[in-house]
Amino acid sequence: MKGAKKAVIAVRKSCKARGTGLSHYILMAKRSK
Amino acid sequence: MRRPAAKVAGGSIRKDETAPSRGRFINTGNGPTLQPIDIGHSDYLALIDPDTAFWSLVQKDQVGSVLSGGPFDRAQGPKLLGAYRRKAAAFGAEMEKLRFGLKPSAVYFNPTERCNLDCRYCYIPSEMRRHGRHMTREQLMEAMARLDKYFDATLPKEMKPQIVFHGAEPLLNREAVFAGIEAYKKRFLFGIQTNATTLDEEALSFLTERGVSLGLSLDAANPAVAQRTRRTWDGKGVFDTVVKAMRRLRGYENWSVICTVTKENLRHLNDLVDFFHAEEVPTCLLNIVRCTLPPAREIKPGDAEAAKYFLAALERSHELYRKTGRKLVVANFANILLAIVAPAARRLMCDISPCGGGRCFFALAPNGDLFPCSEFIGIPRFKGGNLFRDDLGNVLKSEAFRLVTERRIEVIEPCRRCAIRHFCGSPCPAEAHEMNGGMNRTGAFCEFYEEQVRYAFRLIADQQADDYLWDDWDKDLRQSFAMS
Repeated sequence: MKGAKKAVIAVRKSCKARGTGLSHYILMAKRSK
Repeated sequence: MRRPAAKVAGGSIRKDETAPSRGRFINTGNGPTLQPIDIGHSDYLALIDPDTAFWSLVQKDQVGSVLSGGPFDRAQGPKLLGAYRRKAAAFGAEMEKLRFGLKPSAVYFNPTERCNLDCRYCYIPSEMRRHGRHMTREQLMEAMARLDKYFDATLPKEMKPQIVFHGAEPLLNREAVFAGIEAYKKRFLFGIQTNATTLDEEALSFLTERGVSLGLSLDAANPAVAQRTRRTWDGKGVFDTVVKAMRRLRGYENWSVICTVTKENLRHLNDLVDFFHAEEVPTCLLNIVRCTLPPAREIKPGDAEAAKYFLAALERSHELYRKTGRKLVVANFANILLAIVAPAARRLMCDISPCGGGRCFFALAPNGDLFPCSEFIGIPRFKGGNLFRDDLGNVLKSEAFRLVTERRIEVIEPCRRCAIRHFCGSPCPAEAHEMNGGMNRTGAFCEFYEEQVRYAFRLIADQQADDYLWDDWDKDLRQSFAMS
């Protein structure tokens, strides 16, 4: 795929930050499928 | 034409209010600050604006062209810079909100001081764990009522707060915990972090029927290695019991396993990844040991060694995914990837500054004392008040909490100069305070985080990042920048 390399890759996705983040524990709510 | 201004992180000064520069050029005047970072990739270099966490990967032989003589937008300068300049203010505001504009929505709820294990790295003092007290059922219900009232007044109606029963070992006070879950199951999202030693059939039925998220702990696939760090007070391992609980949980969606990475199990992480994958664990965390208390520092691995084996374990998880089509998500690394591609979507708040302690979540001790995070339970200076006696709003503004919520990366050396400071966050303030002598110091690790961020960028360059994230990770996200 060397020939298909892009000159620039820049991606950002956004959402409303809700602050539900925890620390060393992760609350799984049907997100692991 | 005035360009949209980027906010200076942590303050309200706008760059275009400070000098008559149109900001057409990088790294001068009001131009974007784009620091070149070697990500260890054969073809790409990263350009990062540390304040807004904007990044781009540019082919090494085209960096000069892209930044100065490449495709040129007459109004805005080089194309990448023009596109970024139009978004810089929004990205700055996004980081500002994430860092300073959130409200607590989760509680680490410790229903007991006691634990039936004596893990070597535990941050709860051993005297508490051995001889401590349980919260009574009445106290637990009163605490739930107070928290419910607080969140009802502070959070949007569509947002459910989270309670994570944590420890010590929360299921040693099982009757009170289950009563609380039953009474408040419609008001909170519940989770339990448990050593799984008392997680019998009856407990599992109760918890899984109510959709409670479960976190188990296991440090190795080999009982003898697992026992080096996690063991009973008389030195016995609990491997078989934990694996039995894991097998009962197969097919349940809301569970994960935490492995604490120390020098005792570092070389065995690949085997553990194989084991977790074979046991159909959907998500694991390979958390580097927190060195808040001295015993944990005795099993602290070096940064470079930790990075080497941790990244190898990630590679192994990817090989297994490619081979079987089934993912074992390593959530703490997935969170770093999220911090890069979608900063506001991160789920864990250790790797942002200020960290989530005291501002996104807080910890409740069994006697009602409140701390910014569980890591601080046992350090009296960080007690902000008591849930049964004090107004929670005032506790969150207390000096004890502000020590943590106002720990900004901009005053920590060398983090204040580091391009990846918003992908790492300089964790952990408890380590900084207890191990390194102050809140404006780094925590126990640095290069370990550097290497994870570099690895994450290499995955993005090779278009493999999705393989390391949950399948639906971008379901509710919108694209705010795309150039390729």
